[in-house]
Amino acid sequence: MKKIFNIKFVTLGIVITLVAVSINACKNYLDVAPQGQITADQIASDPAQAANLVTGIYNIFYAGGFDPDVESFQYVIMTDIASDDADKGSTPTDYGDALQIDNLQTTPSNGTINNVWRGYYQGIARANQAIGVLQNAQFDAATKNRLLGEAQFLRAWFYFNMVRFFGGVPLLDHVPTAAEANDSKYQTRASVDDIYKLIISDLDFAVANLPLKGATDVGRATQGAAQALEAKVYLYRKDYQKAYDLSQAVIASGKYSLVKDYSLIWRENAVNGDGGINNAESIFEIQAGINQDCTSGPNLYTVSQGPRAGGKFGWSDLGFGFNNPSTSLINEYEANDVRKTGTIIFITPTGTRLFDGFRIPSQDSVQNSTYSYKAYHSRTQERNCSGNTDHLPKQLRILRYGEVLLIHAEAAFQLGKVGDATTDIGMLRTRAGLPAMPAAGINLASIWHEHRMEMAEEHDRFFDLVRQDAVQPGRAAAAFTAHGKTWSSTYALFPIPQQQIDLSGNRLTQNPGY
Amino acid sequence: MKHSFTFLFMALFMFLGLNSYAQNTPIKGKVTDAATGETLIGVSVTIKGTTNGTQTDVNGAFSINAPANATLVFTYVGYASQEKPAAQPLDVKMVAQARELQQVVVIGYGTQRKRDVTGSIGNVSGAQLAKQPVQTPTQALQGKVSGVQVLSSGQPNSSPQVRIRGTGSILGGANPLYVVDGVLTNDIRNINNNDILSIDVLKDASAAIYGVRGANGVIIITTKKGKKGPPVIAYDANFGFREAANTIKMVNRDQYLGYETDVNPSALAANAPPLTFPGTTNWYDEVLRKGFTMNHNISLSGGGDNNTYFVSASYLDDQGITKTNDFSRFTLRANNDVNITSKLKFTEQLSLTRSVENPISASSIFGNVYRAAPIVIGQDANGLYGNTSAWGNVGNPLVQLDKANNYTGANRVQGNVALDYDILKSLKFHTAFNVDGVWDNQRNYLYKFGADAGTFTTGGGNQRQDNSSLFIQQDNAYNYNWDNTLTYDKRFDKHHVTVLGGYTSEKFRYSYINGTRLNVPPISDQWYLDLGDPSLSTAIANNGDKYTRQSLIARANYDYGGKYLISGSFRRDGSSKFSEKWGNFYTVGAGWVISEEDFMKDQKIFNYLKLRGSYGQLGNDNIPSSLYIVTATSNLPYYYSGQLTEGTAIQQIKDPNLHWEITDQLDLGFEYAVLNNRLTGEVDYYKKKVKDALIQVPLPAILGSSDAVYTTNAASFQNSGWEFGLKWSDKIGKDFSYYAGANFSINNNKLTGLNGGQYLTGGGINGQYVTRTDNGQPIASYYVLNAIGVFQNQAEVSAAPPNNLGEANHVGGLRYADTNGDGKIDANDRIYAGSYQPKYYGGFNFGFTYTSFDLGADFYYNWGNKIYNGNRNARADLRDNIESEFADARFTTSRPSTSDPNVITSNTPPSTYFIESGAFLRLNNLTLGYTFPTDMVKKVGIAKVRVFLTSQNLFTITGYKGISPELIPPTTPTTNGLVNVVSSAGILGSGIDQSVYPVVRTFSFGVNVQF
Repeated sequence: MKKIFNIKFVTLGIVITLVAVSINACKNYLDVAPQGQITADQIASDPAQAANLVTGIYNIFYAGGFDPDVESFQYVIMTDIASDDADKGSTPTDYGDALQIDNLQTTPSNGTINNVWRGYYQGIARANQAIGVLQNAQFDAATKNRLLGEAQFLRAWFYFNMVRFFGGVPLLDHVPTAAEANDSKYQTRASVDDIYKLIISDLDFAVANLPLKGATDVGRATQGAAQALEAKVYLYRKDYQKAYDLSQAVIASGKYSLVKDYSLIWRENAVNGDGGINNAESIFEIQAGINQDCTSGPNLYTVSQGPRAGGKFGWSDLGFGFNNPSTSLINEYEANDVRKTGTIIFITPTGTRLFDGFRIPSQDSVQNSTYSYKAYHSRTQERNCSGNTDHLPKQLRILRYGEVLLIHAEAAFQLGKVGDATTDIGMLRTRAGLPAMPAAGINLASIWHEHRMEMAEEHDRFFDLVRQDAVQPGRAAAAFTAHGKTWSSTYALFPIPQQQIDLSGNRLTQNPGY
Repeated sequence: MKHSFTFLFMALFMFLGLNSYAQNTPIKGKVTDAATGETLIGVSVTIKGTTNGTQTDVNGAFSINAPANATLVFTYVGYASQEKPAAQPLDVKMVAQARELQQVVVIGYGTQRKRDVTGSIGNVSGAQLAKQPVQTPTQALQGKVSGVQVLSSGQPNSSPQVRIRGTGSILGGANPLYVVDGVLTNDIRNINNNDILSIDVLKDASAAIYGVRGANGVIIITTKKGKKGPPVIAYDANFGFREAANTIKMVNRDQYLGYETDVNPSALAANAPPLTFPGTTNWYDEVLRKGFTMNHNISLSGGGDNNTYFVSASYLDDQGITKTNDFSRFTLRANNDVNITSKLKFTEQLSLTRSVENPISASSIFGNVYRAAPIVIGQDANGLYGNTSAWGNVGNPLVQLDKANNYTGANRVQGNVALDYDILKSLKFHTAFNVDGVWDNQRNYLYKFGADAGTFTTGGGNQRQDNSSLFIQQDNAYNYNWDNTLTYDKRFDKHHVTVLGGYTSEKFRYSYINGTRLNVPPISDQWYLDLGDPSLSTAIANNGDKYTRQSLIARANYDYGGKYLISGSFRRDGSSKFSEKWGNFYTVGAGWVISEEDFMKDQKIFNYLKLRGSYGQLGNDNIPSSLYIVTATSNLPYYYSGQLTEGTAIQQIKDPNLHWEITDQLDLGFEYAVLNNRLTGEVDYYKKKVKDALIQVPLPAILGSSDAVYTTNAASFQNSGWEFGLKWSDKIGKDFSYYAGANFSINNNKLTGLNGGQYLTGGGINGQYVTRTDNGQPIASYYVLNAIGVFQNQAEVSAAPPNNLGEANHVGGLRYADTNGDGKIDANDRIYAGSYQPKYYGGFNFGFTYTSFDLGADFYYNWGNKIYNGNRNARADLRDNIESEFADARFTTSRPSTSDPNVITSNTPPSTYFIESGAFLRLNNLTLGYTFPTDMVKKVGIAKVRVFLTSQNLFTITGYKGISPELIPPTTPTTNGLVNVVSSAGILGSGIDQSVYPVVRTFSFGVNVQF
């Protein structure tokens, strides 16, 4: 009896020991690292990753579609469709948010403005992440400053668009800590001047530290890009001297020249060495390509603006049919201006053949009568990713030499250097197949006319018209009257998205008039 | 780990501290059930005329000191009392009166008699489940247990949605935990209904024994085992067909053309004639079919002195009611017990499941079926399809079905091996190693076809597939949990103590690998990635998941004389999903069997009456792993000098202090048996409060989070309600016996706090959300404009406040209430308009056996809920098809309507116009059986033959105009049952009817044979 009892207790002892041992042996049993993911902590301690974070900022250019957007469909709505250069397009009732913006009836609950607000702040956050990690990373000084310069150039571009869309916005120049995140310092709007201060200091750093075109990879921000952007910023700030100096520096660098054939500026392939992607005129351009996931191009940029079937249908159309060049724009072209057919696809009663041979059927099978040629991307002669049309690798020209000439011309004119302006305008007009000297001579109106013709459908018109209105009040009202809409100064800025006001606990204040 | 030692030693001392004592010169005997021969535990044995007595032990044995001429009285709840002269030896066979109360229920890591339980536990026998021709045991549970709401879809191999006592979580998954013979899982689609012995549902805090996984309730499945005796072979089969129980009556050709002429004249004017045809296409008829279904089960069971065995095989074949959609499942099960010595027992319970499925993208298909125009044909005699897309309409759903070939083959192994050792007579050690593994192969092939005359009767449109594409995925999931428990069970005098202590550990691993290639030849034998065009997109993806849990468990039950019951359990859980890993969960309960009291002895009303209550705290950690760790998004492409470069971004904002959801639950109830045990019933009141519930708090965009949400423990909500259950059974004469049962549940769900955060929204239609979840409202309440009629004339339009939300006011348009009276209609005018969660639900059943015939019927019902008819509201285009009912009711100038607008467009905002009652009553199952006379079948060596006719969902009574009032969001079926698919969109968007798979009706003929 006693013996059996012992065996029982021995067994019990073994069991308890086993359990106890198994618990202790698995001391770290519950420490499971995330599977298949790199943690933020690992990145912060790895200098090689800092360079990847900069690439991550550029990647935000592919965001968009109906989601947070930087340079794609929603951006097109807020720049071209919002302006007198284009009508909403598609079917009359399609996409209420775009319709509001087209009709100058944007409400704070509009989804497009919220998507753009979100997209840009994602870009800013990526830039701040990269800048934060780079500052502590172990690099040679030149590489480190170049990467910092690229990040700051991109951040400046993001804030420049934000301040032009919304006025003063929350200013975040670093990644807020958890404790700071809800701080009113970040949850309220900074002044327009403070935003510009950050933009200019970022661009000053970029100009000082970025290499010239040719001394760095194609596609990365260059000194020329930083100078061109800063010239543009100063033009908006009416600091004509600095705008002049910086645009002059771009011209004097000798790195850029005009593409001969205007219609080739936005094409993918050069023709006889002229035009195509990353052409002689391109100063900063979104790079795109083909990757396995077919995600390497601004989401829906091309397809949202592609010709749309309507009426009798009966063909495989090219897109959603948004952003139709307006009558007001068409009316402003001088006869023989080649930029008209370089910018606009005209749908004709007998069918339209595009440069790549694609035939759009006659008007009775097409929804709208004009489309943007600059947004067109050939399905046959230009790259695509296995037929994927959402991320067609369209390389948006963000800054190009033609625009630098316009900045230079306007700044020069404002500084009394009419000769410089005449040269700049003459170059552009000659290329457009027009007499070098405008009929009315060189004045502010003719420079602005040239600006509109040169930059049509390049997502500049709305901003530029608001800028011109600040120089010469009444410009915007007149332009919108010609476009069949009624302008009010309220519309110079978009409303702050209501959702963001709510999320800030009403600490973000609304723009006047909304 | 100090706590674990402390606990184990405490437990040990408790065992040793208890001593038994016995009386001298006893009369010994044993009490068994007269019908089944099972030993009866806890039978009260008293000497007549005295209060001296004892109870039978776990082996049914008793020992009592009594004078030689004494009479012993045997009483046992649910059995007829017996008096026997005290003689040696005494074997007593008692006759059952109410089997209900004798049931043994599984309570997690142990069992208990239902009459001794202090918690609220539902129980359904396997026979009740197996008689229904449905695929999953969960589906068969519908309407069977109070407080358990089951929603299922007609889609083959879909996983039903289960809510025990209301929606208890938004983000942590609201489905209960399933425990199959000790294996913890989220998915029981691999279980063959015929293998189930019983299902127990832990509804209240007694689920705390499963700690951090118990908050949504626990469904415990016990599979069959062999019984001692000669081999029994059973064959059960049924054959039949399924069809859609209901479809929506859409307009015919003339009505459609009339509607288009009215609302979309320009499109019709430009319409290319070749598209149309003279007849009317009923798109539901085009894609649906009668699906053949069959199910075969064969089992062999039996046992000897030292072992029992149960082996079964089953094959289920289910042709879906949608063309090309098929499912078949083969299961094997082997459950064996071997007594190695008198003290050591080995148990093995293993099942192997192989399922093959041809899934379809149900939500896309049924969305398009609803919207496709009736003027276009489905397919002509030459095999060419009607070109709906060329008419600016949706894609032709038949093309979607025919031009895709989807296949999923899944294998699952589930089961355990266990050892039980009796260390002492009253102290048992149990160790079980439970495994659950899934390996599956998925293959989706899309055929190449053009939007041209090769495919369609007329070319055009954008329905085309430029390159054929092949997608292959392999999943591999493996989960184990290792349970070790010590159970001390002792009866002495009138005391009965059970103490359980244990330790479990669990690990889950999952990985998948998939790839896509284009232009693979359209021959199924060549559907391998190697045959794709390597120069085109070749996406490969591979990732995985891993988590662990570790737990200490303890439970103690005490009862005195079967009269006073006390229980308590405790579980300390560690989970790798949080930075603060450990949490404690517990329950306490008490019961009082009033009918055992002396003062109740003389009353004749109650044969049995018990009051019970429990309170406890449970948890829910059912969220993705590593949700508290910030990770980077890598491989973000960009190009420098044309070279692809992969970038990285950190774009998450995470809560490092994330922890499990906590549920406090109170349950009060009573159980009774009256009218000579013929009527038994149960009533429960419960209150379940969830705090620290996980929600996604929206973040200001300035912080740059890509999803702009922050997952944190911020919400609290509450479910409270009542449950009633009744069962009646009786016999009239020799040949007629009958039964009836009913259950009824009331649940009240509301959100009680958001910790200062913003309300949550869900379910988008026409660019606006449909539900809002805010303080004081049920989860996912519809929050929409209040439609108060239709504008009859321009004067009314001019006088009305302008509409800033969606479409402008117009004659024939819906008119909305300016709720806040600010002179305009906008988002601030929305009102709460009910939710999909039923206030009342339940089931009832009845049946009888008369001579050789048996008939049974099961009903299910719910009411007090609302459905949002999203199909009607979500209009993509004016060419979308409309319902016949709407065509007749809608406003036209010649036939003004005051309730229905002339047209619903993509700008029509969500409103009360689209809200309908979700109440319904359904005859879930009706079965008529005939059992052949035993004499007849015995001659051919068969023990029993029964044939039956059965119908599942013979009819549903509902006022709802959509396809079915039973809505679960259509899912792309995943056979990978181990992977948690947690979707807050599902819960916050519940009740919005968009593109659901039709509910099915089944007719089948079956046979049960026993050799």
